[in-house]
Amino acid sequence: MSLPKDNYMFEMIRTELMDAVGSDYVNTGDSDKFGHSIDYYWIPEMWHDRGRETKKPDFVVHPGSAEEVAKVLKIANQYKIPVVTWGGGSGSQGGALPVFGGIVLDTKRMNKVLKIDEESLTVTAETGIIARHLEWHVNKRGYSTMHLPASIACATIGGFLAHRGTGVLSTKWGKIEDMVMSLEVVTPNGEIINTLPVPRHASGPDMTMMFLGSEGTLGVITKVTLKIHPIPEARKFRAYLFKDFHTAMSAGADLMRSRLRPCAVRLYDETETLTHVKKVFGMDIGTGAYLVFGFDGKEKIVDLEMEYAREIMEKKYKGRDLGSKGGDLWWENKYKFFYPGYMFHIPQAFGTLDTVADFAHIEKVYWAMKKAGNENFPQARFIGHFSHWYEWGCMLYARFIFEGKDVPQDADKAAELYNRVWDVAIREAIANGGVINEHHGVGLKLGRYMKDLYKNSFPILQGIKKTLDPNNIMNPGKLGL
Amino acid sequence: MNIDKFYDSIKACRFCFMCRHLSGVGNVTFREADTPRIRAAMLYGVTLDNSKLANADFIDTIYSSDLSAACRFHCVNSFDENGMVLAARRDIVEAGLAPADVLALAETSKSIDAKPKISGNGETLYYIDSCTASAASEYKAFDKIMKKAGVKYRVAKGGNTGKILETLGFAADSAQKAAEFADAVNKSGAKTIVVSNPAAYDSLANDFKARGVKLIPKVMHASEFLLQLKVKFAKKAGKIYYLESDFLKNYNSNLKFPRELLRKLGAEAAEFGTNSEESYTCGEGAVVLDKLRPNIVEKMAKYVEERADNPNADKIVVASPYTKIQLSKNSKLKVYTLTELAAACI
Repeated sequence: MSLPKDNYMFEMIRTELMDAVGSDYVNTGDSDKFGHSIDYYWIPEMWHDRGRETKKPDFVVHPGSAEEVAKVLKIANQYKIPVVTWGGGSGSQGGALPVFGGIVLDTKRMNKVLKIDEESLTVTAETGIIARHLEWHVNKRGYSTMHLPASIACATIGGFLAHRGTGVLSTKWGKIEDMVMSLEVVTPNGEIINTLPVPRHASGPDMTMMFLGSEGTLGVITKVTLKIHPIPEARKFRAYLFKDFHTAMSAGADLMRSRLRPCAVRLYDETETLTHVKKVFGMDIGTGAYLVFGFDGKEKIVDLEMEYAREIMEKKYKGRDLGSKGGDLWWENKYKFFYPGYMFHIPQAFGTLDTVADFAHIEKVYWAMKKAGNENFPQARFIGHFSHWYEWGCMLYARFIFEGKDVPQDADKAAELYNRVWDVAIREAIANGGVINEHHGVGLKLGRYMKDLYKNSFPILQGIKKTLDPNNIMNPGKLGL
Repeated sequence: MNIDKFYDSIKACRFCFMCRHLSGVGNVTFREADTPRIRAAMLYGVTLDNSKLANADFIDTIYSSDLSAACRFHCVNSFDENGMVLAARRDIVEAGLAPADVLALAETSKSIDAKPKISGNGETLYYIDSCTASAASEYKAFDKIMKKAGVKYRVAKGGNTGKILETLGFAADSAQKAAEFADAVNKSGAKTIVVSNPAAYDSLANDFKARGVKLIPKVMHASEFLLQLKVKFAKKAGKIYYLESDFLKNYNSNLKFPRELLRKLGAEAAEFGTNSEESYTCGEGAVVLDKLRPNIVEKMAKYVEERADNPNADKIVVASPYTKIQLSKNSKLKVYTLTELAAACI
């Protein structure tokens, strides 16, 4: 794509798009195109920082309904124009970047809350709604989606569905895919379909799950029904300091094996405990590994669960009790790190090597990635914490950070260095039983590893893509498809 | 360039998404460009290549900001995207790049004599700026309360504090108006100057200081002033929804006086909409957004209306006559200013 504006075909297509969604909702100005050329991925940020032109779409359209989305996709198919679905632009993997130009389909105009069903405890909403707005909406009625990620202020619900996002309460309340009842999807050929209305059935393979995580490559998710929950009567946290990372990991895994139901568990390795816990939470707790967890629900049950959890932490693993204050500070400051002044920022080069594995492999993955990183990139720091815990394992939020002096000023060389880190670390993760990744998605950044990850099952994904999107208009270049 | 003074904020905001949900204009246009992040990223591009300032589309975006400062109030480190946009406007004007609609508004404002007409007796001077002047019920309500309190006061009507010029980026013209306005007010001998319009309050309390213009009388917003009057408010205000002012809350961290006044009036303040973080002022911070972008202001008013519990019956209270005017014009909401509510409670 990338039609010059003086090409009359540009005007022909623009006219058709305006007919589909209304003239106010097709933008081709420089501000709009620029606004959709940078997401939260380090490479386009660095590109812009170095004064290089970021890849822009030809058209930015804001459809107001599934029917309008369908019209846009039919036009795109006719002219074989790439369509990239854009929610809030907070993706860290480049999943919504219009790398081949074409149409950016911005969903934010589809932002209505359609229904709160207080009998089934579900909310039905259009997927362009910003997650914070949806959460506020259900909060007013005494409910919560329990989906509270750091990107809540920016990301749309559709964005979370597209890449299988997660929030800080995932351990009890699940990832976004655990919260979904059903979806409305516009397929690449412009058909509006609905998946089955409930998530538990024995009516063949689960089509809802096929679209979740498809990152705009198989269609556009336009409506969702999500579970909602009464705002808990109590939510309490407690933190412990362990002598080392291994002991803390063992304590955390034991907590999960006990089948108590914490709403959140988070473990920081020794390096992050020294830096992050002090800088962001304001706690100077000394050396060791910091583990925080919490329970929510009826207060009596929360207190009882907490009592059992404390036994595990204190009697078996000799953790130093940092009290409820040590846990509350984490909860109160859970988003603080993501504000400028706390977050890593250019000229630093940084990334999150999000990997998930079972308890039998997670420590191996951690050490293998750290070792490979340190050996290949001694100038960088490799730190990590473990964010999302399940009955069987947890997610490693490994990070690498290069200080600005160690990052080439030349954009191409900087991108090359950046990509090499991922190559080294991700291959180590996969080789040691890790899966990339738990919640950030694949996008542009990790597409090249999909074949390594899926091995001989990858052609099945390719086949689904080819069947649904024969012209390959939907988010080309992403997910390795 | 003026934006260079905001380089830290430009670099901080350009890749930050933490206040995206509070983009007053972005939430009704759905455009990424109308968010702090993208405005900051655009201005970073200008710091690398000054010629980008001349891009007409970028200029249009900079003048579409509602300048609510909700982002700055929200930010844990108070990065000043608002100040950055105002600085960009000054750069645009100084480079001779101001668009025709902005120039026309500025010319109109420049033609207004800075010195207000002052009449009456008393140590208190009530300033009726052009916005308050267009909402007659506001200054009549103030007069009713003052009569009930038995307090003599003077009125300063018209004039020009330079706030519109300041907001549009005409800093030098704004400073000149401010100096002339201050001269007239200082000569009046008033001890206190009271304003209903939070924009005028911000101008007198902050802009003047920033321009080195000395204003002798103490500046008070009407909500603070009314609180200290010995007036009995016999009737209870009942259930109301109070919409915060951009200038009082986000620019001056003044959440206290409007709420204390509401308590004194016996108001039961319910939370409007779903949260207290978004700006529901219809562009109060941009002072003349209704003139520059009437279609956006209309959408912002509808956005507010959609969030009311009962748009046909709810009693909405605002601090700013500007917001009352926009909501009354573009929605079915029933809107009162704090002063009007106080007068109705006598």
